[in-house]
Amino acid sequence: MSTHEAGISGELRRFLRGGVSLEEHKEATAQTPITTFIPAEVTIPLAQHLGPPAQAIVKRKQVVQRGELIATAEPNGAPVHASVTGTVARVALSPHPTLTEAPAIVITVDPNAAAPQCTDDPAWATLPRDVMLARIEAAGIVGLGGAAFPTYRKLRLPDGVRVDTVVLNGAECEPYLTSDHRLMLESPKDVLRGAWLLAQIIGAQRVVIGVEDNKSDAAVVLQAAVEQLSLSPAPDVLLCRTRYPQGAERQLVEALTGRRIPARGLPLQVGVLVQNVATAIACYQAVRYQQPLLDRVLTVTGPGIGHPMNLRVPIGTLVQDIVAHCGGLDARTAMVIAGGPMMGRALGRLDVPVIKGTGGLLFLRVDDVQREPYGPCISCAACLDACPLGLEPNQISIYTEAGRALETESFGTRECFECGCCAYVCPAERPLVQFIQIAKAAFQTGSAIGLGVRPGVVHG
Amino acid sequence: MAETPGLRLAPGPHVHAGQTTRAIMWWVTLSLLPAYLWATYLFGVRVLGLTASGVVGAYLGEWLVNRLRQQRQTLRDGSAVLTGVLLVGTLSPGLPLWMPAIGGFMGIVFAKMLFGGLGYNIFNPALVARAFLMACFPLAMTTTWLAPRPGVWWAADAVTTASPLTVLKLEGVARAAELLGLGPAYYGQLLLGFRAGSIGEVSVVLVALGAAVLLRRRILSVYIPLSVLVGTGLVALASDVPLFHLLTGGLWFGAFYMATDYVTAPLLPRAQIIFGLGIGALTGIIRIWGGYPEGICYAILLWNAVTPALNQWFRPKRVAPEAIGV
Repeated sequence: MSTHEAGISGELRRFLRGGVSLEEHKEATAQTPITTFIPAEVTIPLAQHLGPPAQAIVKRKQVVQRGELIATAEPNGAPVHASVTGTVARVALSPHPTLTEAPAIVITVDPNAAAPQCTDDPAWATLPRDVMLARIEAAGIVGLGGAAFPTYRKLRLPDGVRVDTVVLNGAECEPYLTSDHRLMLESPKDVLRGAWLLAQIIGAQRVVIGVEDNKSDAAVVLQAAVEQLSLSPAPDVLLCRTRYPQGAERQLVEALTGRRIPARGLPLQVGVLVQNVATAIACYQAVRYQQPLLDRVLTVTGPGIGHPMNLRVPIGTLVQDIVAHCGGLDARTAMVIAGGPMMGRALGRLDVPVIKGTGGLLFLRVDDVQREPYGPCISCAACLDACPLGLEPNQISIYTEAGRALETESFGTRECFECGCCAYVCPAERPLVQFIQIAKAAFQTGSAIGLGVRPGVVHG
Repeated sequence: MAETPGLRLAPGPHVHAGQTTRAIMWWVTLSLLPAYLWATYLFGVRVLGLTASGVVGAYLGEWLVNRLRQQRQTLRDGSAVLTGVLLVGTLSPGLPLWMPAIGGFMGIVFAKMLFGGLGYNIFNPALVARAFLMACFPLAMTTTWLAPRPGVWWAADAVTTASPLTVLKLEGVARAAELLGLGPAYYGQLLLGFRAGSIGEVSVVLVALGAAVLLRRRILSVYIPLSVLVGTGLVALASDVPLFHLLTGGLWFGAFYMATDYVTAPLLPRAQIIFGLGIGALTGIIRIWGGYPEGICYAILLWNAVTPALNQWFRPKRVAPEAIGV
């Protein structure tokens, strides 16, 4: 069935400016159904979200059930639950994918434990908003698109703010990653119910789901599910042009609704709430089954891993266990990235856990990441063409390199959301995102940090 | 557990489009091959000798300055080679072989390295080199055009002649028309390249072919070269022979290979169009009313000086509106 037959209407949605066309590399896992892997031990960090870390309420040797609360939320934080049934081995500082080291609860999995019963609330769709919101808060759900902002905080609108549209992010514009694609294909109804639910909670009248046209099969499946479910309001499934960073909030809102979010602003300011498809499913499961966020679906991929696949793992599964499960590392593997190749974060070690916000694991070999030392800016303007916001990364980098980071405000330093398009196209291979990060740090501290390099000298 | 050895930490993005500075420099250099081989066919192997000379001079200049400043050598980026090659494109084929080396050396040292090296220069180094040679060796620079002798690779008795633009400037339109026969057949010859002229400029078709390769690889964009051609064309309407002006001299070579130098040209299309039109118009003005038969070299150099101002005036437009009342 083509997208046309499925009734997906209109031309491809696109954002206004810039962006880059990337090699997708999604073929390795796009057709691979999600499978489940449960390790022998999980390490569940207390800090997995934006906000204060949770407080552990379990002790060593305590037996915990999957779904049981093991760390309570601090104000503005999110709670943490046992993702497996087993015994607490220790509560201790452990390696963390983004924080180097952080407190975590280590649980040894009981392989013989029965799957816990889940309660189905038949009245889920008619619950009061605050009950729905409370269940989402209690489930410890955070944005699964990568930012890991506690979802209940996003849904609790400030006074006077009205949101009329929920935008569901099914763009998955990072190369290699296919986990959102698989979720849309395999659980389209849960995605839609989740989106509908979010609209109920915030009182939005419209739900729009944006899917890049390299995943038109998912759009077709979603559209078919829309027709079967007859939700009101019925979600609109819209195809977006496949172009990075289509999945960034600003670009997605612009492409789907035509509204432009103010500089340094939020979608709320133009009456839009954006959520990722995986987050929508989690919200649906939290409200209907009162099931906390326990698992993470992620794509394990790249030329450095033996068997690329889409995996569902309990939160806290160590990367090294996933590596072993996926056929081990290629000997030439040089980088392991949590997330996609554009905005993902390089991991220095494999004994770190998958956390709520881990969108994928990408294994790249030496040849894939080979780089020349960077050179001087040659004013080719490629970064200006690529920037989706119309900023001036060339100038920010030149000023920052010269120790004049504090003078870069007018070039848009504060607006940059670090999508990496500029650095991707820069022929001098200048680490433009890093320069911008340095400039942002300079604003924070008020001191211009020079790199102490002389112009024209190449340095790695 | 110990840190896994050998894992590389780097900031994102972790992938790259693959078009590097060095690749760009070499593609531009390679795209000149058809035009330069054509010049070799017309004027003999001394063209290759002159090219080698220009490259050696440029290379030495860059090496020496890096050495004196105790900096890491930057020759691998390919930009010095390109400067040498481009310089020779603006020179007449009958020059003594040592002369491009002097030009290349001086251009690189004074126009590029003393400004801070690649990316920091204000003026196009190849054109500064040409202007330098023009100032030092005016006679050799203006009287060594060779009459094309296709297929004569090695000639001790090369015949010098005047370039078409020199004929026009010295003899006037009426006499030039008589001497050159300014008809369709002659314009056809100009287009294909059967004429006297500088090494890079003789065949308009081959310059366009090289440029097409660069356009296709997105190394060039059309804004600057097209507006240079338009600018000269418009001013040339004031002369009796506009087509002649469009097809002669270094107009195409300058428009596609000199005015488009990333470092010395403006960044954004609107600024590039003004820049190109300005260069084109100035070229026409110098040719028609000025003292020199050809004006593209000085036109570009003068507009190079305007580039920083153009970059100040034309800035990218932000996508995000400024927040109002939120």
